[in-house]
Amino acid sequence: MKKSKHLQSEPLDLAELIAETADPSAGALVVFSGTVRNHHAGKQVEYLNYTAHAALCEKVLAELESETRERFGVSQCRIVHREGDLRIGEDSVLVVVRSAHRKEAFAAAEYAINTLKERAPVWKREHYADGTVDYQEGVPLSACKHDH
Amino acid sequence: MITVEFYGVLREVAETDRLQCDFSGGAVEEALSLLCRQIPALAAHLPRLACAVDDEIVSRDAQLGSGATLALLPPVSGG
Repeated sequence: MKKSKHLQSEPLDLAELIAETADPSAGALVVFSGTVRNHHAGKQVEYLNYTAHAALCEKVLAELESETRERFGVSQCRIVHREGDLRIGEDSVLVVVRSAHRKEAFAAAEYAINTLKERAPVWKREHYADGTVDYQEGVPLSACKHDH
Repeated sequence: MITVEFYGVLREVAETDRLQCDFSGGAVEEALSLLCRQIPALAAHLPRLACAVDDEIVSRDAQLGSGATLALLPPVSGG
């Protein structure tokens, strides 16, 4: 089965993204990895579960890649998000940016991850060591704001 | 009849991932009102949820045809 390009249930493969974005015109490579940590708001986290609206997530992340490339003039931008159960230390998201110079690569990677957090239809559920479970409060998608 | 999909915390609120709703057509807002009568706990989430129809984010005055799939998207927490 063909792997989803922007959302996948298997562990994220940074080497694959590095290879896929190889670009002889790019002198800078910036990688951001969102990594599952073992604490949140003072509570010990055992593992996370991510769910997504798959079709919308594919579309939103593909558009965000294009937007990031155009806005910052970087030659490569790839974003992949994980879904399912993730253990501490696993990558939940990878952002890979390549550009001629480092300044725009850093800025583009930061923009991409910040914007993903506002737009990607993905939900994180935290499973704590004390047996409790909680969804994070999250960021309302901007479409809500037109109505209220 | 429409299909309603619940995401994130709304799956706990609705106690299901999806359901069929006897909605004969009209605005998204009207479908939400009908759903809130069936699932009263949903009302508290309305101000912060976005809606998607057939994989497009839509406003609440968008028209829903019979057979459409309405996805209810609470605040997101990816990354």
